[in-house]
Amino acid sequence: MILMPNFGVVVAGPPRTVHLLNNSEQPATVFSILESGQKQVPLVSDPLFMDLMKKLASVYTGKQQTRMEAKGPRFEVADFLVKLGTVTMNQNFKGVLVEVEYRPCVVPAYCWELIREFMQGFLGTCAPAQAPVYLQNRMQEIYQPLDTIQQYLEQFREYRKAVTVR
Amino acid sequence: MAVEPLYNALSAIKTLRSNVAVAFESLGNGIRSDHGEDGKETKFLLELQDQLTVVNNNLRDVEQSIGNLQPPHNPFSLGNSGYLSHEYSHDRQALYSQLVLSYKWTDKVHEYCNLAHAQLSQNSLTRSYTNTASAKRRRVQTSSHNVPPHAVDKVITQIDRLLPEMSVSITRPFATNVVLHVSVGRVLRAIIAFKGLLIEWIIVKGFMESLDLWTESRFKVFRKVTENAHAAVMRFYMPPMPEVSVKSFMTWLHSFNTLFSDTCKGCGLHLRNAMPPTWREFRTLEPYHEECKP
Ligand SMILES: [Zn+2]
Repeated sequence: MILMPNFGVVVAGPPRTVHLLNNSEQPATVFSILESGQKQVPLVSDPLFMDLMKKLASVYTGKQQTRMEAKGPRFEVADFLVKLGTVTMNQNFKGVLVEVEYRPCVVPAYCWELIREFMQGFLGTCAPAQAPVYLQNRMQEIYQPLDTIQQYLEQFREYRKAVTVR
Repeated sequence: MAVEPLYNALSAIKTLRSNVAVAFESLGNGIRSDHGEDGKETKFLLELQDQLTVVNNNLRDVEQSIGNLQPPHNPFSLGNSGYLSHEYSHDRQALYSQLVLSYKWTDKVHEYCNLAHAQLSQNSLTRSYTNTASAKRRRVQTSSHNVPPHAVDKVITQIDRLLPEMSVSITRPFATNVVLHVSVGRVLRAIIAFKGLLIEWIIVKGFMESLDLWTESRFKVFRKVTENAHAAVMRFYMPPMPEVSVKSFMTWLHSFNTLFSDTCKGCGLHLRNAMPPTWREFRTLEPYHEECKP
Protein backbone atom coordinates (compact mmCIF):
# COMPACT_ATOMS: atom_id res chain seq x y z
CA MET A 1 0.00 0.00 0.00
CA ILE A 2 1.33 3.38 -0.95
CA LEU A 3 -0.19 6.45 0.63
CA MET A 4 0.44 9.91 -0.61
CA PRO A 5 -1.15 12.72 1.30
CA ASN A 6 0.00 15.85 -0.40
CA PHE A 7 0.90 19.09 1.28
CA GLY A 8 1.24 22.47 -0.32
CA VAL A 9 4.00 24.33 1.39
CA VAL A 10 4.57 28.05 1.21
CA VAL A 11 7.94 29.29 2.22
CA ALA A 12 9.40 32.65 1.27
CA GLY A 13 9.88 32.44 -2.46
CA PRO A 14 8.16 30.19 -4.98
CA PRO A 15 5.70 27.62 -3.63
CA ARG A 16 7.06 24.19 -2.98
CA THR A 17 5.33 20.88 -2.65
CA VAL A 18 6.10 18.14 -0.18
CA HIS A 19 5.03 14.62 -1.03
CA LEU A 20 4.75 12.34 1.94
CA LEU A 21 4.77 8.66 1.11
CA ASN A 22 4.40 5.42 3.01
CA ASN A 23 5.18 1.95 1.77
CA SER A 24 3.80 -1.07 3.60
CA GLU A 25 7.05 -2.92 2.75
CA GLN A 26 8.86 -0.48 5.04
CA PRO A 27 6.16 0.24 7.66
CA ALA A 28 8.51 2.08 10.00
CA THR A 29 9.69 4.60 7.41
CA VAL A 30 8.22 7.79 5.99
CA PHE A 31 9.55 9.01 2.69
CA SER A 32 9.16 12.69 1.91
CA ILE A 33 10.13 14.38 -1.30
CA LEU A 34 10.33 18.16 -1.43
CA GLU A 35 9.91 19.65 -4.87
CA SER A 36 11.17 23.10 -5.66
CA GLY A 37 11.37 23.87 -9.34
CA GLN A 38 13.50 21.28 -11.06
CA LYS A 39 15.17 20.19 -7.86
CA GLN A 40 14.04 17.37 -5.60
CA VAL A 41 15.06 16.81 -2.03
CA PRO A 42 14.24 13.33 -0.75
CA LEU A 43 14.13 12.58 2.96
CA VAL A 44 13.84 9.20 4.65
CA SER A 45 12.65 9.39 8.25
CA ASP A 46 10.67 7.55 10.91
CA PRO A 47 6.84 7.78 11.25
CA LEU A 48 7.00 10.67 13.76
CA PHE A 49 7.77 12.92 10.84
CA MET A 50 4.30 12.22 9.43
CA ASP A 51 2.72 13.37 12.72
CA LEU A 52 4.84 16.48 12.68
CA MET A 53 3.70 17.32 9.17
CA LYS A 54 0.04 16.79 10.17
CA LYS A 55 0.52 19.26 13.01
CA LEU A 56 2.07 21.72 10.62
CA ALA A 57 -0.66 21.21 8.01
CA SER A 58 -2.86 23.90 9.59
CA VAL A 59 0.00 26.38 9.39
CA TYR A 60 0.62 25.80 5.73
CA THR A 61 -1.71 27.52 3.37
CA GLY A 62 -2.24 26.77 -0.28
CA LYS A 63 -3.34 23.81 -2.31
CA GLN A 64 -5.80 21.35 -0.90
CA GLN A 65 -4.43 18.01 0.07
CA THR A 66 -4.67 15.18 -2.40
CA ARG A 67 -4.56 11.69 -1.07
CA MET A 68 -3.51 8.98 -3.48
CA GLU A 69 -3.36 5.34 -2.63
CA ALA A 70 -2.34 2.14 -4.37
CA LYS A 71 -3.71 -0.83 -2.51
CA GLY A 72 -4.04 -4.49 -3.35
CA PRO A 73 -2.76 -8.03 -3.02
CA ARG A 74 0.89 -9.04 -2.79
CA PHE A 75 2.34 -12.21 -4.30
CA GLU A 76 5.68 -13.92 -3.99
CA VAL A 77 6.91 -16.14 -6.82
CA ALA A 78 10.31 -17.59 -5.95
CA ASP A 79 12.32 -14.40 -5.32
CA PHE A 80 9.96 -12.15 -7.26
CA LEU A 81 7.59 -9.84 -5.46
CA VAL A 82 4.46 -8.85 -7.39
CA LYS A 83 2.00 -6.25 -6.15
CA LEU A 84 -1.26 -5.37 -7.85
CA GLY A 85 -2.37 -1.94 -6.67
CA THR A 86 -5.73 -0.32 -7.26
CA VAL A 87 -5.03 3.39 -7.52
CA THR A 88 -7.46 5.80 -5.94
CA MET A 89 -7.25 9.59 -5.74
CA ASN A 90 -9.36 11.00 -2.91
CA GLN A 91 -11.26 7.72 -2.99
CA ASN A 92 -11.94 7.84 -6.75
CA PHE A 93 -10.74 4.86 -8.77
CA LYS A 94 -7.98 5.81 -11.21
CA GLY A 95 -6.41 2.62 -12.49
CA VAL A 96 -4.25 -0.37 -11.62
CA LEU A 97 -0.50 -0.41 -11.02
CA VAL A 98 1.58 -3.56 -11.26
CA GLU A 99 4.82 -3.57 -9.30
CA VAL A 100 7.40 -6.28 -9.95
CA GLU A 101 10.50 -6.48 -7.81
CA TYR A 102 13.31 -9.01 -8.15
CA ARG A 103 14.70 -8.82 -4.67
CA PRO A 104 18.04 -10.72 -4.86
CA CYS A 105 19.49 -8.29 -7.40
CA VAL A 106 20.54 -4.81 -6.32
CA VAL A 107 21.66 -3.33 -9.64
CA PRO A 108 18.73 -2.72 -12.06
CA ALA A 109 20.86 -3.06 -15.20
CA TYR A 110 21.82 -6.65 -14.27
CA CYS A 111 18.27 -7.95 -14.03
CA TRP A 112 16.14 -5.68 -16.26
CA GLU A 113 15.96 -8.27 -19.06
CA LEU A 114 15.06 -10.95 -16.55
CA ILE A 115 12.28 -8.83 -15.05
CA ARG A 116 10.99 -8.02 -18.53
CA GLU A 117 10.83 -11.71 -19.38
CA PHE A 118 8.97 -12.31 -16.12
CA MET A 119 6.43 -9.55 -16.87
CA GLN A 120 5.90 -10.80 -20.40
CA GLY A 121 4.93 -14.10 -18.84
CA PHE A 122 1.74 -12.69 -17.32
CA LEU A 123 1.22 -9.30 -18.99
CA GLY A 124 1.98 -10.41 -22.56
CA THR A 125 2.27 -7.42 -24.87
CA CYS A 126 1.30 -5.02 -22.08
CA ALA A 127 4.73 -5.53 -20.56
CA PRO A 128 6.90 -2.44 -21.01
CA ALA A 129 9.81 -2.66 -23.44
CA GLN A 130 11.83 -0.01 -21.65
CA ALA A 131 12.72 0.46 -18.02
CA PRO A 132 10.76 3.22 -16.23
CA VAL A 133 12.05 6.72 -16.99
CA TYR A 134 13.09 7.29 -13.41
CA LEU A 135 15.31 4.18 -13.47
CA GLN A 136 16.87 4.77 -16.87
CA ASN A 137 19.52 7.13 -15.48
CA ARG A 138 20.11 4.92 -12.48
CA MET A 139 20.45 1.48 -14.06
CA GLN A 140 24.01 0.99 -12.76
CA GLU A 141 23.34 2.23 -9.25
CA ILE A 142 22.40 0.20 -6.21
CA TYR A 143 18.63 0.04 -5.82
CA GLN A 144 17.08 1.41 -2.62
CA PRO A 145 13.57 1.54 -1.16
CA LEU A 146 13.46 5.24 -2.07
CA ASP A 147 13.71 4.25 -5.74
CA THR A 148 10.44 2.33 -5.46
CA ILE A 149 8.83 5.40 -3.88
CA GLN A 150 10.11 7.66 -6.65
CA GLN A 151 8.61 5.36 -9.27
CA TYR A 152 5.23 5.41 -7.53
CA LEU A 153 5.43 9.18 -7.37
CA GLU A 154 6.18 9.24 -11.09
CA GLN A 155 3.07 7.10 -11.75
CA PHE A 156 0.85 9.13 -9.40
CA ARG A 157 1.89 12.30 -11.20
CA GLU A 158 0.75 10.78 -14.49
CA TYR A 159 -2.66 10.01 -12.98
CA ARG A 160 -3.03 13.57 -11.70
CA LYS A 161 -2.02 15.08 -15.03
CA ALA A 162 -4.73 12.98 -16.65
CA VAL A 163 -7.23 14.68 -14.34
CA THR A 164 -6.22 18.23 -15.24
CA VAL A 165 -6.44 17.46 -18.95
CA ARG A 166 -9.97 16.18 -18.66
CA MET B 1 54.41 -49.44 19.51
CA ALA B 2 52.88 -52.06 21.79
CA VAL B 3 52.39 -50.89 25.37
CA GLU B 4 52.29 -54.26 27.10
CA PRO B 5 56.08 -55.10 26.95
CA LEU B 6 56.89 -51.57 28.08
CA TYR B 7 54.61 -52.03 31.06
CA ASN B 8 56.25 -55.37 31.93
CA ALA B 9 59.71 -53.84 31.69
CA LEU B 10 58.73 -50.96 33.94
CA SER B 11 57.28 -53.25 36.62
CA ALA B 12 60.37 -55.51 36.40
CA ILE B 13 62.58 -52.48 37.07
CA LYS B 14 60.36 -51.53 40.00
CA THR B 15 60.72 -55.00 41.54
CA LEU B 16 64.49 -54.93 40.98
CA ARG B 17 64.85 -51.57 42.68
CA SER B 18 62.78 -52.59 45.67
CA ASN B 19 64.71 -55.86 46.20
CA VAL B 20 68.07 -54.11 45.81
CA ALA B 21 66.91 -51.68 48.48
CA VAL B 22 66.02 -54.61 50.78
CA ALA B 23 69.44 -56.23 50.23
CA PHE B 24 71.34 -53.02 50.95
CA GLU B 25 69.22 -52.34 54.00
CA SER B 26 69.99 -55.68 55.60
CA LEU B 27 73.66 -55.28 54.66
CA GLY B 28 73.68 -51.82 56.25
CA ASN B 29 72.02 -53.06 59.45
CA GLY B 30 74.55 -55.87 59.81
CA ILE B 31 73.92 -58.73 62.23
CA ARG B 32 70.64 -58.33 64.11
CA SER B 33 69.38 -59.83 67.35
CA ASP B 34 66.97 -62.17 65.57
CA HIS B 35 69.95 -64.01 64.08
CA GLY B 36 70.47 -65.48 67.57
CA GLU B 37 73.79 -66.21 69.15
CA ASP B 38 74.92 -69.46 67.49
CA GLY B 39 76.51 -69.09 64.10
CA LYS B 40 75.07 -65.67 63.62
CA GLU B 41 77.65 -64.75 60.95
CA THR B 42 76.73 -67.79 58.84
CA LYS B 43 73.03 -67.00 59.17
CA PHE B 44 73.60 -63.42 58.17
CA LEU B 45 75.69 -64.44 55.15
CA LEU B 46 73.04 -66.98 54.07
CA GLU B 47 70.34 -64.34 54.30
CA LEU B 48 72.38 -61.92 52.26
CA GLN B 49 73.11 -64.60 49.70
CA ASP B 50 69.36 -65.32 49.31
CA GLN B 51 68.63 -61.67 48.83
CA LEU B 52 71.38 -61.31 46.24
CA THR B 53 70.01 -64.33 44.37
CA VAL B 54 66.60 -62.65 44.25
CA VAL B 55 68.25 -59.47 42.95
CA ASN B 56 70.07 -61.53 40.36
CA ASN B 57 66.85 -63.12 39.21
CA ASN B 58 65.17 -59.71 39.07
CA LEU B 59 68.03 -58.36 36.99
CA ARG B 60 67.62 -61.22 34.57
CA ASP B 61 63.90 -60.46 34.29
CA VAL B 62 64.69 -56.84 33.54
CA GLU B 63 67.19 -57.75 30.86
CA GLN B 64 64.74 -60.18 29.33
CA SER B 65 61.88 -57.69 29.24
CA ILE B 66 64.17 -55.04 27.76
CA GLY B 67 65.12 -57.53 25.09
CA ASN B 68 61.42 -57.78 24.24
CA LEU B 69 61.18 -54.04 23.63
CA GLN B 70 61.48 -52.70 20.11
CA PRO B 71 63.47 -49.51 19.84
CA PRO B 72 61.48 -46.73 18.08
CA HIS B 73 62.39 -46.33 14.43
CA ASN B 74 63.05 -42.63 14.63
CA PRO B 75 63.72 -40.26 17.51
CA PHE B 76 60.56 -39.03 19.21
CA SER B 77 59.53 -35.67 17.96
CA LEU B 78 58.09 -33.87 20.93
CA GLY B 79 57.43 -30.68 19.02
CA ASN B 80 57.26 -27.62 21.17
CA SER B 81 56.69 -29.67 24.28
CA GLY B 82 60.39 -30.62 24.07
CA TYR B 83 61.19 -27.16 25.40
CA LEU B 84 59.42 -28.02 28.62
CA SER B 85 62.60 -29.66 29.88
CA HIS B 86 64.31 -26.26 29.86
CA GLU B 87 62.10 -25.08 32.67
CA TYR B 88 63.55 -25.99 36.07
CA SER B 89 60.51 -25.85 38.27
CA HIS B 90 57.92 -28.06 36.68
CA ASP B 91 55.21 -27.02 39.10
CA ARG B 92 55.25 -23.53 37.72
CA GLN B 93 53.88 -24.53 34.34
CA ALA B 94 50.85 -26.58 35.32
CA LEU B 95 51.12 -27.99 31.83
CA TYR B 96 51.51 -31.61 32.66
CA SER B 97 47.85 -32.38 33.28
CA GLN B 98 46.87 -30.48 30.18
CA LEU B 99 49.40 -32.39 28.12
CA VAL B 100 48.05 -35.65 29.42
CA LEU B 101 44.51 -34.57 28.63
CA SER B 102 45.34 -33.52 25.10
CA TYR B 103 47.31 -36.69 24.60
CA LYS B 104 44.30 -38.73 25.63
CA TRP B 105 42.16 -36.63 23.34
CA THR B 106 44.37 -37.09 20.29
CA ASP B 107 44.59 -40.74 21.09
CA LYS B 108 40.81 -40.96 21.01
CA VAL B 109 40.70 -38.97 17.76
CA HIS B 110 43.17 -41.39 16.30
CA GLU B 111 41.03 -44.32 17.31
CA TYR B 112 37.86 -42.77 15.86
CA CYS B 113 39.73 -41.92 12.68
CA ASN B 114 40.72 -45.51 12.25
CA LEU B 115 37.12 -46.60 12.67
CA ALA B 116 35.88 -43.91 10.30
CA HIS B 117 38.52 -44.86 7.77
CA ALA B 118 37.43 -48.48 7.88
CA GLN B 119 33.85 -47.39 7.28
CA LEU B 120 34.59 -44.86 4.56
CA SER B 121 36.91 -47.07 2.58
CA GLN B 122 33.90 -49.28 1.87
CA ASN B 123 32.04 -46.32 0.43
CA SER B 124 32.42 -45.96 -3.30
CA LEU B 125 31.46 -42.27 -3.22
CA THR B 126 34.58 -41.29 -1.32
CA ARG B 127 36.14 -38.01 -2.36
CA SER B 128 39.60 -38.87 -1.04
CA TYR B 129 42.32 -40.97 -2.61
CA THR B 130 42.72 -43.25 0.40
CA ASN B 131 41.98 -46.51 -1.39
CA THR B 132 44.05 -45.82 -4.47
CA ALA B 133 47.00 -44.88 -2.26
CA SER B 134 47.43 -48.47 -1.13
CA ALA B 135 47.58 -49.72 -4.71
CA LYS B 136 49.99 -47.08 -5.97
CA ARG B 137 51.87 -45.26 -3.29
CA ARG B 138 52.35 -41.60 -4.10
CA ARG B 139 55.84 -40.22 -3.87
CA VAL B 140 55.05 -36.87 -2.31
CA GLN B 141 52.54 -36.81 0.46
CA THR B 142 51.24 -33.28 0.12
CA SER B 143 48.93 -32.14 2.82
CA SER B 144 46.15 -29.77 1.89
CA HIS B 145 44.94 -29.01 5.39
CA ASN B 146 48.25 -28.28 7.08
CA VAL B 147 49.67 -25.41 5.08
CA PRO B 148 51.59 -22.47 6.57
CA PRO B 149 49.48 -19.27 6.67
CA HIS B 150 51.73 -17.27 4.36
CA ALA B 151 51.41 -19.94 1.66
CA VAL B 152 47.62 -19.78 1.95
CA ASP B 153 47.72 -15.98 1.72
CA LYS B 154 49.89 -16.21 -1.37
CA VAL B 155 47.52 -18.56 -3.17
CA ILE B 156 44.49 -16.44 -2.31
CA THR B 157 46.01 -13.11 -3.33
CA GLN B 158 47.13 -14.70 -6.58
CA ILE B 159 43.56 -15.76 -7.29
CA ASP B 160 42.31 -12.32 -6.29
CA ARG B 161 44.59 -10.72 -8.88
CA LEU B 162 43.53 -13.20 -11.54
CA LEU B 163 39.78 -12.59 -11.30
CA PRO B 164 38.89 -8.96 -12.03
CA GLU B 165 35.31 -8.87 -10.74
CA MET B 166 36.11 -10.67 -7.53
CA SER B 167 37.41 -9.05 -4.39
CA VAL B 168 38.46 -11.01 -1.35
CA SER B 169 39.43 -10.20 2.19
CA ILE B 170 41.23 -12.62 4.44
CA THR B 171 40.33 -12.94 8.11
CA ARG B 172 41.58 -15.38 10.68
CA PRO B 173 39.03 -15.43 13.48
CA PHE B 174 40.06 -18.92 14.60
CA ALA B 175 43.83 -18.71 14.93
CA THR B 176 45.46 -20.02 11.78
CA ASN B 177 42.62 -20.97 9.48
CA VAL B 178 41.33 -18.50 6.95
CA VAL B 179 37.74 -17.33 6.70
CA LEU B 180 37.45 -15.62 3.36
CA HIS B 181 34.93 -12.91 2.51
CA VAL B 182 34.36 -12.76 -1.22
CA SER B 183 32.27 -10.42 -3.29
CA VAL B 184 31.60 -11.07 -6.95
CA GLY B 185 30.74 -7.89 -8.82
CA ARG B 186 27.68 -6.36 -7.21
CA VAL B 187 25.85 -9.65 -7.53
CA LEU B 188 26.74 -11.80 -4.57
CA ARG B 189 28.86 -12.18 -1.49
CA ALA B 190 30.23 -15.41 -0.12
CA ILE B 191 31.93 -16.53 3.04
CA ILE B 192 34.34 -19.44 2.73
CA ALA B 193 35.93 -21.30 5.63
CA PHE B 194 39.27 -22.93 4.90
CA LYS B 195 41.23 -25.60 6.67
CA GLY B 196 44.68 -24.95 5.33
CA LEU B 197 43.96 -24.88 1.61
CA LEU B 198 40.96 -27.13 1.89
CA ILE B 199 37.56 -25.50 1.45
CA GLU B 200 35.44 -26.67 4.33
CA TRP B 201 32.30 -24.57 4.15
CA ILE B 202 30.73 -21.92 1.99
CA ILE B 203 27.63 -19.74 2.20
CA VAL B 204 26.55 -17.58 -0.74
CA LYS B 205 24.30 -14.60 -0.13
CA GLY B 206 22.97 -11.49 -1.80
CA PHE B 207 25.18 -8.46 -2.24
CA MET B 208 23.38 -6.44 0.44
CA GLU B 209 22.90 -9.29 2.92
CA SER B 210 25.03 -9.64 6.01
CA LEU B 211 27.51 -12.51 6.04
CA ASP B 212 28.13 -15.11 8.66
CA LEU B 213 29.03 -18.78 8.52
CA TRP B 214 25.73 -20.23 9.68
CA THR B 215 22.69 -18.39 8.34
CA GLU B 216 21.65 -18.98 4.77
CA SER B 217 20.36 -16.38 2.36
CA ARG B 218 16.83 -14.97 2.44
CA PHE B 219 16.64 -15.58 -1.29
CA LYS B 220 15.91 -18.85 -3.01
CA VAL B 221 18.38 -18.12 -5.81
CA PHE B 222 21.35 -17.78 -3.43
CA ARG B 223 20.33 -20.81 -1.44
CA LYS B 224 20.42 -22.75 -4.71
CA VAL B 225 23.82 -21.28 -5.60
CA THR B 226 25.11 -22.25 -2.13
CA GLU B 227 23.91 -25.80 -2.73
CA ASN B 228 25.65 -25.89 -6.11
CA ALA B 229 28.79 -24.41 -4.53
CA HIS B 230 28.94 -27.34 -2.14
CA ALA B 231 28.75 -29.66 -5.15
CA ALA B 232 31.50 -27.65 -6.84
CA VAL B 233 33.77 -27.89 -3.78
CA MET B 234 33.49 -31.66 -4.03
CA ARG B 235 33.92 -31.65 -7.78
CA PHE B 236 37.11 -29.59 -7.64
CA TYR B 237 38.52 -31.40 -4.60
CA MET B 238 42.04 -32.55 -5.41
CA PRO B 239 44.24 -33.31 -2.37
CA PRO B 240 47.53 -33.62 -4.31
CA MET B 241 47.06 -30.16 -5.85
CA PRO B 242 45.20 -27.98 -3.35
CA GLU B 243 46.08 -24.68 -5.11
CA VAL B 244 44.57 -25.88 -8.37
CA SER B 245 41.50 -27.02 -6.52
CA VAL B 246 40.98 -23.63 -4.83
CA LYS B 247 41.71 -21.78 -8.07
CA SER B 248 39.23 -23.80 -10.12
CA PHE B 249 36.58 -23.31 -7.48
CA MET B 250 37.09 -19.56 -7.32
CA THR B 251 36.98 -19.27 -11.11
CA TRP B 252 33.74 -21.20 -11.04
CA LEU B 253 32.32 -18.86 -8.36
CA HIS B 254 33.50 -15.84 -10.33
CA SER B 255 31.31 -16.92 -13.27
CA PHE B 256 28.23 -16.03 -11.18
CA ASN B 257 29.10 -12.41 -11.94
CA THR B 258 26.46 -12.69 -14.67
CA LEU B 259 23.95 -14.69 -12.61
CA PHE B 260 21.07 -12.32 -13.40
CA SER B 261 21.97 -11.31 -16.94
CA ASP B 262 22.87 -14.72 -18.45
CA THR B 263 20.40 -16.76 -20.44
CA CYS B 264 20.34 -20.52 -20.14
CA LYS B 265 22.40 -22.48 -22.69
CA GLY B 266 19.72 -25.14 -22.73
CA CYS B 267 16.49 -23.22 -23.32
CA GLY B 268 17.79 -19.75 -24.22
CA LEU B 269 15.60 -18.01 -21.62
CA HIS B 270 16.35 -16.03 -18.47
CA LEU B 271 13.79 -17.74 -16.30
CA ARG B 272 12.51 -21.19 -15.62
CA ASN B 273 10.18 -21.68 -12.65
CA ALA B 274 10.88 -18.01 -11.90
CA MET B 275 14.56 -18.77 -11.30
CA PRO B 276 17.60 -17.62 -13.31
CA PRO B 277 20.24 -20.14 -14.49
CA THR B 278 21.85 -21.15 -11.17
CA TRP B 279 24.01 -23.94 -12.53
CA ARG B 280 27.43 -23.42 -14.11
CA GLU B 281 29.09 -26.25 -15.99
CA PHE B 282 32.29 -27.15 -14.14
CA ARG B 283 34.55 -27.15 -17.18
CA THR B 284 33.00 -24.64 -19.57
CA LEU B 285 31.28 -22.42 -16.94
CA GLU B 286 28.23 -22.28 -19.22
CA PRO B 287 25.00 -21.23 -17.47
CA TYR B 288 22.07 -23.62 -17.22
CA HIS B 289 18.82 -23.77 -15.32
CA GLU B 290 18.56 -26.41 -12.66
CA GLU B 291 16.05 -28.24 -14.89
CA CYS B 292 18.05 -27.75 -18.13
CA LYS B 293 21.49 -28.88 -17.05
CA PRO B 294 22.96 -31.59 -19.28
ZN1 LIG C 1 17.04 -23.35 -19.26
